[in-house]
Parts: sequence; structure tokens; C-alpha cells
Amino acid sequence: MKKFLSLVLAAAMAMGMCACSQQNEGGTAPAQDTPAESSADAVEKYGSDTLKLYNWGEYIGEDVIQNFEQEFGVNVISEYFDSNEMMYTKLLAGDSYDVLVPSDYMIERLIKEDRLSELDMSLIPNMENVADSLKTREFDPDNKYSVPYFWGNVGLVYDKNVVPKEEIEEKGYEILRDTKYKGNIYIYDSERDAFMTAFKALGYSMNTENEDEINEAFEWLKSINDTMEPAYVTDEVIDAMANGNKAIAVVYSGDAAYILNENEDMGFCLPKEGTNLWSDAMVIPKNAENPKLAHEFINYILTYDASYDNSITVGYASSNKDVLADLSAQDGEFFGNEAYLPREDYEKDEIFHDNEVLKKKLSDLWIKVKAAN
Amino acid sequence: MKSFRKLVYPYIVWAVIMIIVPMVMILLYAFTKEGNSVRNFIFSLDSFRRFFSDKVFLGVLERSLVIAVLTTFFCVILGYPAAYAMVRSRFKIQWVLLTTIPTWINMLVRTYAWRGIMDNKGLINAFFGLFGLGPFKMLETNFAVVLGMVYNFIPFMILQIYNSLEKLDKSYLEAAADLGANRVQAFLRVTLPLSAPGVISGITLVFLPAVSSFFIPKLLGGGQYVLIGNVIENQFLTAGDWSFGSAISLIMAVVIIISMYITRYIDKKVSPEGGNG
Repeated sequence: MKKFLSLVLAAAMAMGMCACSQQNEGGTAPAQDTPAESSADAVEKYGSDTLKLYNWGEYIGEDVIQNFEQEFGVNVISEYFDSNEMMYTKLLAGDSYDVLVPSDYMIERLIKEDRLSELDMSLIPNMENVADSLKTREFDPDNKYSVPYFWGNVGLVYDKNVVPKEEIEEKGYEILRDTKYKGNIYIYDSERDAFMTAFKALGYSMNTENEDEINEAFEWLKSINDTMEPAYVTDEVIDAMANGNKAIAVVYSGDAAYILNENEDMGFCLPKEGTNLWSDAMVIPKNAENPKLAHEFINYILTYDASYDNSITVGYASSNKDVLADLSAQDGEFFGNEAYLPREDYEKDEIFHDNEVLKKKLSDLWIKVKAAN
Repeated sequence: MKSFRKLVYPYIVWAVIMIIVPMVMILLYAFTKEGNSVRNFIFSLDSFRRFFSDKVFLGVLERSLVIAVLTTFFCVILGYPAAYAMVRSRFKIQWVLLTTIPTWINMLVRTYAWRGIMDNKGLINAFFGLFGLGPFKMLETNFAVVLGMVYNFIPFMILQIYNSLEKLDKSYLEAAADLGANRVQAFLRVTLPLSAPGVISGITLVFLPAVSSFFIPKLLGGGQYVLIGNVIENQFLTAGDWSFGSAISLIMAVVIIISMYITRYIDKKVSPEGGNG
């Protein structure tokens, strides 16, 4: 019996160890990967051989970190957030990172609060790879603080076997209130995106501060909650729709591109009422310990290989124009994928702006939408 | 003996940094307003007023308590017989091991796995599908949330009860039999009261995490089952209103202290030893 016991223990421990080493992959790479002398070189060149990256979860190519580490003889410590607000909270609490990848409106706030350091563009020559339309976004018009990472829209992923294409294109967001699809929809669980759909469905700006419009949007969302039995999800929606669990879901375009590649029954619709045109960009916070290496990392991400790996793994539209063109071209991974290329220059699409008061109000209302059943 | 007392100092330092300081911070935040800095502390009861004047938040609190009570109830109902059978089994240690092994794997991962099992196209419905039944909607229901909680917390219950049954002196049962008690009577009058401390501490261990859990309802309830833990998480991570988040945490702390007091009171009443579980 003793033998059996130790066997079970050994097996369990082995399992535990697997879990540990898997965790490691995302975080610090094992030290033996980096030759000792190049690590010393890195210290000499950048002042340190460790880069702290704070990024969205599942937002980077499979080998990007490892390749960067090997090429420059450094270690990358990755941490992940699942909302801009979470990242902001950590930053506010005094945690130091070298590179962050927040979204447009959050960068706007960080600039306003003087939390970002200006970039030295002479250290980022690969900036020339970035599409011009991405360089002049409103939140940072001269790209003084930020370098584009991914960009896209928010739209509706739908099961083509259940929802006719004409119907969803005709109805737009209103389809989320069609009781035919009761219990069959996923709503994105963030006040920003939920209220974006409501404002757009009602024909308002998603940056509105008008009380009546906000209340109307609240009622609109509440009517979904009360009549449609929606499920509120965030990243779970990716697997769920790839498995075809429900008929309609509000999804970020990059995740949608991934879903469409996984499951050919799925289609993507950018509602005619307009949507959010967002972009996430790399920035260096003022309290970064290793800004030199941070510049090197940002420059590296913009290389063709790294951008390609990022985009093909995650499904989001690359900020590198060549990668974007190649992946959506005839023999590219995302050829014919309706969700990969974001919609640009559509007059009803908008960019989110930072508005602390509005955000708090929406956040408060959103929990009330969800809690009121 | 006295010289050993110094050994407790590291723990005191630990406790101050890890327990007392955060508690004080929560207290300060709960009673302040205007932003997330306690440096300019302005005493205010706004957060509490906001919580108690809003039906939505009170509804959430009620729902959290109901789900926690349900979870605890099922943990006792399922856990007690399991522990009882384990103590009497020849393979005690193996059973204990089997109960604990799942807890070695991260809770989040295990809960996530339930999504795949209970999906409309998941394992269970695929099974029913073989007989042309279903699909039954399981995910995103109360059932899923309670199941997930019971699954995650039942080991704590079983182990507590197991320990107290394990310590039980068999001679008491023999004495009961000698005095003419049948097995049911012996169980009701000897085993059950003597294992009560285990049940009580099991209840404490299950009820507390259940009432404040936020990721189980989020993952299995499809975000529809907003519980108090979700509101607190939301206040800190999304809304960025630390004062309100702290106030709710404080309210929860009070609720928990009251419920602990009640269980201790029951413990004293029930268990003959006066409750040392």
C-alpha cells in the first residue's frame, strides 16, 4: 500500500511540476537560454538585462518573447491584465513596468496625468513600418508617447446556420433584442463595450455626456438583460464561439478573426450603426526602470517577423502595414476573413475618449444592469 | 519555555504587515470620499449610505447569502456521509488523498473545466444527445454556480468532518451498544454530537469563501449572477472607486463576523465538549 501511495504522490507532483513549467513559459524564460556573455553585454548596453512587460493576456506571438530574449541576451518578465482599468490600478499603486500596452482612451488619460515618458524615436527606426493612418490617432497625434501595437473594431460574430446574414446586417445591434435569439447571445462584460453598443444602437455618440441619452442606453441594456437571458463574458467568448455555443456574440474584431478561422460556420458583421475604432499601443511609463531596453523592445515588436508572429497567433490586425497586407492577401492566413481587416473611415465609427466622470457613471449603471435580475 | 516566546515575533511582524495594515487601509478607505487617496482623508458615510439606500446592492447581498447558504447546506449533506464512509473504509489514507488531490490543481482551472462539461455542446449534453435528449441548459444557471461552489469547497468540509470522526473513541459506540442502543440511536446520540465541532468548522470554512467568491459565479453563471464579490472586484478593478469597494468589504466583514459568532454559539450548544473544533 505504501508503494501505491508514493506512486500517487509522485504522479501528482509531476503534474504540479508540469503546471509550474508551463506557467514559466509566459513569464521569465529559463536562464540557460541566454548566453552569459550576451547578458553581460546587455547590462552594459542598456543598464540592465531585465525588461518588465505588462500586456493583455494572450496578446503576443508564441515565440516573440523568446526570440527577443535570445537576440538581445535579456530576460523578459511578462505580467498580464484583462482590462485597462486593472492596469491603471496597478500602475497607480506604484508598480513599475518598462512597457505597457494600453488602449487609446487609457493612453489619453496617462498622458493627461503625466505618467508616460516621451519616446526617443531615433531608437525606434522601425516606426516607418507602421501604417500612416495609425500614426495620427487623436489620443496622441504626433506619436510622442505611443507606438501602435494592434487595432480593430468591435462587431457581432454570428452563427451563419442560425442567423441569416441579411437579417443581422439589416438589424445591426437591435438583433440583440430580438427574442427569437433569447438565451442565445453573449454580451461583452465591460461597461465601455456594452454601453458602446447601446449608444450606437440608439444613434448616439459613445462619448455622450447627455443624461437622457445615458438613461436611454441604460434602459436599452436593461431590456436585453430582462428579456434575452444574455450571458456576460469576456475572453471566454473566444472558445465559446469557436465551439459554436451560441448564435450571436459581441466580440472584438481580432478575437472574431480567430473565431472565424477556427469555425467556418461563423460570420462577422460590423453593424451599420457604427462601432468603436480602437487601437492599443506600446508606451513607456515614467517609472520604468529600464527605458533603453524598452525602446529596443518596442522597435523589435515592429519588425516584420515579430509583428507577423503576433498577428497570426492572436488574430488582431497588425500595426505593421506589410504584415497586414500579407496576412489578408490571397495566400495569407486571414484571406477572406471578414473580421481581420478593421473598418476605417466609416463616419459612424468613433474613438473612445477618456472621461472619468462618464466612465464612473457607466460603471455604476452597468453593475445595476447585471445585478437587477 | 519563556525564551521560546521570542519565536513568535516574526509572525507578529508578518501579521501586522499582511493583516492589520490592510484592514486599517480598508477602514480608512471605507470612511473617506473623493478619490483614491487617503492622504486627504475626509470623513464620510457616503459609501455606506449608497449601499444601503440601493435596492440593487441589497439584492446582491441577499443573493450572495442565499447561494452561500445553499452551498454550505449541500456540502454538509454530501460531505458528512462521505466522511463517515471514509473513516470506516479500509483505504482511509487513499480516500483522504483522493479528496485532497483536486485541490492541488488551481481552482480557476478546475472551474473553467466545468464550463466545457456543462456547455450546451459539452460532455453531459453530448451524453444525453446519444439518447436524443436535451440539450439541457446548465451553464449560466443557479445550478451551475452552486455546483461549482460545492465542487470547489466540499474537500474542506469532508476533511473537517473526517478529522472529528477519526478522533472519535470507538469505545463510546461499544458502550452505547452495551446499554442497548441500536445503530441508529448510537449514531444520533453519540457520533453526531461528537462530530459536531468538525461540522461547524467545516461550515465556517465553506461559508466564508462561498459568500465572497467572485470568479465561480463569473465563470459558471455567465456573469448574470452578480454576487457581492463581483461588485467588490468591479469597484476596485473597473470602476476604480476604492472607497465604495472598501465599504462593501467592511460590510461583508461584519456579516462574516456575525455569522461566525452564530456558528460558535450553535457549536457551544450542540457539542458536549464545549466546542474545540
